[in-house]
Amino acid sequence: MDVVTLIWLYILGLVRWLLKEAPLQVINFIRSLPTLIPELLKWLWDFIWFNFKPLAQIIVIPGLAFILLFAMIAVWFERKFLARAMLRIGPYYCGKRSGWLQVIADFLKLFFKEFVIPDDAEKALFLAAPVLLPTIPALAITLIPFDSNWVLFDAGGLSLPVFLAIAGLAPVIPIFAGWAANNKYTIIGSFRTAYLYVSGEIPLVICAAASALLAGSLDLVEIVEAQRPLWFAIPQFIGFLVFFVGLILEAERTPFDVPTAETELVIGWRTEFSGVLFGFTMMAEYVSFLGWTLLFIVLYLGGYLGPSLLGVPLYDHIFWMLLKLAVVVVIVVLIRTVYPRLRLDQTLRLGWNYLMPLSLLNLFLTLILKWGLMI
Amino acid sequence: MSEPEVKPEVMRISWGPQHPMSGQTRILIDVDGEVVRRIIADIGFTHRGIEKILENRTFIQGIVPIERMVMADTANIALGYVQAVEEALGIEVPERAKWIRSLICEMGRINSHLYAFGLQVECTGYFPAVFLWTTVDREVLLDLFEKLTGARWSYSFFIPGGVRADLPEGFRDEVKRAVKYLRRRFQDYWDAMVENPLFEMRNRGVGVLSREDAIRLGATGPVLRGSGVDMDVRKDEPYAAYGDLDFKVITEKEGDCLARLKVRFHEIEQSLNIMEQIADEIPGGPVRTKVPLFPRSKPGVEALSRVETSRGELGVHIFTDGGLKPYRVKINSPTLRNMYVFERLAELDRVLVADLPVVLYSIDPWYLDCDR
Repeated sequence: MDVVTLIWLYILGLVRWLLKEAPLQVINFIRSLPTLIPELLKWLWDFIWFNFKPLAQIIVIPGLAFILLFAMIAVWFERKFLARAMLRIGPYYCGKRSGWLQVIADFLKLFFKEFVIPDDAEKALFLAAPVLLPTIPALAITLIPFDSNWVLFDAGGLSLPVFLAIAGLAPVIPIFAGWAANNKYTIIGSFRTAYLYVSGEIPLVICAAASALLAGSLDLVEIVEAQRPLWFAIPQFIGFLVFFVGLILEAERTPFDVPTAETELVIGWRTEFSGVLFGFTMMAEYVSFLGWTLLFIVLYLGGYLGPSLLGVPLYDHIFWMLLKLAVVVVIVVLIRTVYPRLRLDQTLRLGWNYLMPLSLLNLFLTLILKWGLMI
Repeated sequence: MSEPEVKPEVMRISWGPQHPMSGQTRILIDVDGEVVRRIIADIGFTHRGIEKILENRTFIQGIVPIERMVMADTANIALGYVQAVEEALGIEVPERAKWIRSLICEMGRINSHLYAFGLQVECTGYFPAVFLWTTVDREVLLDLFEKLTGARWSYSFFIPGGVRADLPEGFRDEVKRAVKYLRRRFQDYWDAMVENPLFEMRNRGVGVLSREDAIRLGATGPVLRGSGVDMDVRKDEPYAAYGDLDFKVITEKEGDCLARLKVRFHEIEQSLNIMEQIADEIPGGPVRTKVPLFPRSKPGVEALSRVETSRGELGVHIFTDGGLKPYRVKINSPTLRNMYVFERLAELDRVLVADLPVVLYSIDPWYLDCDR
């Protein structure tokens, strides 16, 4: 039999099934509905009941609601704080109190604006990039422990390397986005991103390795538990500082916002994004900032541990994590009001000439400390 | 403008007019990675034919269009034109009017330098606060202008034969109060911005223009004085009341963007001193001599006036043919001369893409002044 005959036979069979069998099956299905619906509901109820905690984690913390809420609150706070410094009216007073209405107005504006796709752009990649951008740091956030048994994705004692691996993917997307937009400013901006990540990420990884070495584990929960007597910010003081600078660099915030420098490159690799696509890239900046800040808190500021008074640690709770997050965010926003932007070469010099040797020194000191403790 | 050919190893970017920092002009840059190999300024992009317009206005009507050249610094520009008209028509100016002119010119200079300072600081990547602070501080001066001239922005206050009105009552005290306020603010700016190490990193050694090059390329104003050349028309050929006033010509040796910023900064301090001196020592007397509404010129008179505006030396050259209107007005504007310097800076010094806005705003461009 040749292929054409086979196709004809298949179509004929399909028609026969539609005429003879299909109505019967539909009738059977409708008859069984009264018994089926309660079963379905029960299954759903059981699913929710037995998986209540992971579902809550996915939806609330550290899942969607937390990330979106963080982005909104961080934007609101940053704009209000800057408005105070800039003597601006809108973001400071809008909505009678505390400028909350300005965030919503901006969100609505971005959401309902027409977005333009340039004629010469690589359309699929251009549309995919803004969606992928916040996703990668959000994936990394699932590895962060918010309590000793509040980890969304338990990587089985390898959570630190997995976090670094996922976060290491992040700069690929801006490079693709800049290339896909097919604009000269975006190209320059995306290559700046690549340079910046290389100079910033290596010191970060070395610092994280030193922390893991001191804790004797690659599991983030165990790293936090190892900080019960003393937060690592003190024995790893150099690493603490280097990681702080590195996280600002990784999150592309002032004074290292080189790839999206407004006065130089319009807005860098984001130039061609408009409307809701631009909104996604804005959110991605905050999500990536959130991811690195949470890792910073876990590695150096004792994660979910409360401050210990006279050797007695206070009640461990997710509250401490959020409080520390707020403090770090306020400090980083404060930095934005004080410093101008560094040039690309100055940023790279900072990364390779200062952060890199300091992080190696930190690793070396940690080795000596560990060796001393073992003896 | 015919665009020069692009070499294969560079990428040409049209830097403006669709760019947050370019202003209403078009600058083509050839970049090789991060390094700017060549700058081509599209001079004439905003040409408005002010010189031609002046030929079709009577001498007094001409004051209004010429003020449109530089809105932030209208006093100095208008003074250049008015002085040339006075020379062409042979009009004497009373002493008190000259002092009032100097006062307004210095206030205009501060106004313009504040704008330039705010923009250059913003270019280094400060969030736009500093620019807004300088804009708010400018209000003090604008209020004074309003009280004196009736307009906050383009006050056609200078006329051939003097100024339109005398100082209002209590104006001298208000000037002193404004000077006191601005001095306090400038101390803040100096501490917060100029002494910030990161700000210094962005500005020191960027866009260096040596003394020889500055003279050779014909730089003027703060750009020239930032390269260590002691030249200021107010000192060299005193006009208005500058012969009787005590002030210093500010120079800096380095010739980089920071030096130009510092020159502007110290010039503001000198201007504040001058304002105080004028408020204390202004002589009495009339503020204008009588001039007919449509003064008729003598045929074949040439008049040239040089004025130090906030961007540099402005020359206004008037030819008359005996009519009610000037036969030809030639304006030599400071920004045009500095734009040529800016174009050459990519060859004289290594300019990166990130430095480009800083270098551009360190010469304080005003494109309408450049293209007239």
